Amino acid sequence: MGSNSLTLAPAPRSAAAEEVRAEVREFLAAELAAGSFTTHVDTWLSGVDPAFSRKLGERGWLGMTWPRQYGGHERTAMERYAVTEELLAAGAPVAAHWIADRQSGPNLLRYGTEAQRAEILPRIAAGECYFVIGMSEPDSGSDLASIRTRATRNGDGDWVVNGAKVWTSNAHTSHYAITLVRTSPADPANRHAGLSQLLVDLSLPGITVNPIRILDGGHHFNEVVFGDVVIPGDMLLGEEGAGWHQVTAELAFERSGPERFLSTYPLIAEFARRASDPAQLAALGRISARLLALRQLSLRIAGALDRGELPDIPAALVKDVGTTFEADVIDEVRRVVDVPASLDSPDALGRALAEAQLHAPGYTLRGGTNEILRGIVARGLGLR
Amino acid sequence: MSDVDLVVETVRDILTGYEPFVLTAERPWDAGLWSALAEAGLTGVGVPEEAGGSGGELADAVAIVGALAAGAAAVPVAEQLLVAAPAVLAAGLDLPAPEEPLSIAVDGAVTAEPRDDGDGPGSWTLTGTATDVAWAGVARHLAVLASSPVGPVLALVDVAGRDTTHAANLAGEPRGSLVLQGVTSAGALLTDAQAERLRARYALARAVQLSAALQQVLAWTVQYAGERQQFGRPLGRFQAIQMELAEMAGEVTAVAALVDAAVQAVERDESPVLAAAAAKVRAGAAVEVVARLAHQVHGAIGFTQEHRLHHLTRRCWSWRDEAGTETAWARVLGAGLLADGPDALWPALTRVV
Ligand SMILES: Cc1cc2nc3c(=O)[nH]c(=O)nc-3n(C[C@H](O)[C@H](O)[C@H](O)COP(=O)(O)OP(=O)(O)OC[C@H]3O[C@@H](n4cnc5c(N)ncnc54)[C@H](O)[C@@H]3O)c2cc1C
Repeated sequence: MGSNSLTLAPAPRSAAAEEVRAEVREFLAAELAAGSFTTHVDTWLSGVDPAFSRKLGERGWLGMTWPRQYGGHERTAMERYAVTEELLAAGAPVAAHWIADRQSGPNLLRYGTEAQRAEILPRIAAGECYFVIGMSEPDSGSDLASIRTRATRNGDGDWVVNGAKVWTSNAHTSHYAITLVRTSPADPANRHAGLSQLLVDLSLPGITVNPIRILDGGHHFNEVVFGDVVIPGDMLLGEEGAGWHQVTAELAFERSGPERFLSTYPLIAEFARRASDPAQLAALGRISARLLALRQLSLRIAGALDRGELPDIPAALVKDVGTTFEADVIDEVRRVVDVPASLDSPDALGRALAEAQLHAPGYTLRGGTNEILRGIVARGLGLR
Repeated sequence: MSDVDLVVETVRDILTGYEPFVLTAERPWDAGLWSALAEAGLTGVGVPEEAGGSGGELADAVAIVGALAAGAAAVPVAEQLLVAAPAVLAAGLDLPAPEEPLSIAVDGAVTAEPRDDGDGPGSWTLTGTATDVAWAGVARHLAVLASSPVGPVLALVDVAGRDTTHAANLAGEPRGSLVLQGVTSAGALLTDAQAERLRARYALARAVQLSAALQQVLAWTVQYAGERQQFGRPLGRFQAIQMELAEMAGEVTAVAALVDAAVQAVERDESPVLAAAAAKVRAGAAVEVVARLAHQVHGAIGFTQEHRLHHLTRRCWSWRDEAGTETAWARVLGAGLLADGPDALWPALTRVV
């Protein structure tokens, strides 16, 4: 019975996590009361607010698990989990730093050179330096190994990059892109060979960032075009040719967090203000039961990360179940309330429904589609 | 006895002699299995030795119930170990010998009149009909949750020779009614919170059974997909089937995590009502997906009485409706989470388990 690779030990309860949770809650209540932000759905994609990110940095809530020498706070994954969860539940504007804190920082810690770490990590932890994921391309989505953006060495040992990335979330508001490039010609016998990651400063000449708008007109993702961009030779991240391995290792961080089931939490919170009749209370109960199970799964993964494990298969499972839930929330709520969804609705619930609905197609795509994730889970079941 | 793995191994060893079988009106339970379990002291786990039990922790009792549920064992162990025995003990009543099956009745209109001062455990007269009684006609004793003018009462009834109407759930497990007309029993007054806790533990017991059964159904289905060949390869090689199995695994894994967390909440002696409600609702919701896809992957063979699949899918279809329906518990959960006001939903959610 192959389901063992999917099962993780129960998460230990953490008093330290509950303590920091209470602090974050207090901070958020004060910020909301002061009007420094308003709650929205899916703010880890759309809520870019550098001032807010810097406040989180000041309080030590970014780079939480990293070593102190790089501006980190040496706290546990469980403590970090509590912070991220509180921010998402409040619908706080966290998009500016989200990728840097969640994924790029840990990536640099693991594969970066000493110079890269010393230069960049403290700025991320301070909430001042933002990253994007440069993986997808116009012809390479699920089949990421087929990317065509190339980097070749010039006479000075620098990299010259040509190609284009798409769906690059917040490239227009970020400083660096960890970019997956082909550094040796495609090898049909080993599709995952010859890929590398480069640390690309987005202000370099030759980089063009073109907006791509999503359904509600919002500008979050972009096309990023590289035309003979010269990247200093020391901006290789990790090993040349090890790009695929490095990208895969990122995914446990990318896929397992509470952002994979709380994108639509602000809609649930708004619905709770309305729920009163038995059908509505039952709907709230059903939604809550699913959410509680997802929390337990996600907490177990945070616990596994604390133990130094790499729970990539359970992380794929959580993301599949979690993002399915994020969209289902909309349907559950719609069935039991009489509120039309509209961004212009005078009713906060109508606005939350509209935001959640217009963002919904993205939940089950970003970070790897649910079909691809199920393929990974099937491997965990021993079927592939 | 505290090594959970050892307990599970013992239960599985005993179970191997008692393969799941089709329940009929004539053969509503597995008396032989029950005796074997009782002989091994497994029907008194979680009950202190002073009270006539075998000792052990809640986790041991949960593991036993899970192993038996996965084996489609037709014995009232979940009712006895996880619900009735702890409730009887907590109420200060004398627990019957663990060898005698004990079940629970929380539904129906049974009223209790005190025969003495009604203060502490005493003697009560019960009147009415207990409905949807699990293992009616099988259990020798029944812990009955009744109502009285002074509050809820837990009464312990010896049901030998009493009037029972027979019915069955979708799996054929006995779920009858018991008519009580002026029956004198030992009983104790409960607070409303204690009564609510009892119902919650019953729901959690079903969630524990559901979780174990769902894990077993997934394992059977994965195994079958690896063995059954069509178009010259195993079913599990087809991407469509992989998607279905992965979806099942997602449901099963989510249920297991939440049920474990709810059991731990009970072990920490926290009020388990919302945790149990959540576990029961989540497990019930998973049955929709898992049972449907398990039967789909098994093809027609899984639709037959000869094949083992139905022993668990039929139980899952029943258990999700029992000890309070999924909808009823969803309402309890929804309302309970709003108890401190709608703006406190999130803090409430982070406290449940
Ligand atoms: C909101 C949002 C933000 C994003 N942000 C970023 C970002 O910052 N950086 C970045 O690099 N990318 C980003 N992406 C891109 C995202 O990673 C891709 O959309 C995703 O990998 C899918 O690729 P695709 O869109 O090309 O779809 P395709 O790969 O063309 O897939 C289309 C459909 O076919 C299915 N499919 C494809 N192959 C298979 C297969 N082998 N088996 C079964 N089904 C298959 C897919 O599951 C999907 O349903 C973002 C996407 C969204 C929606």
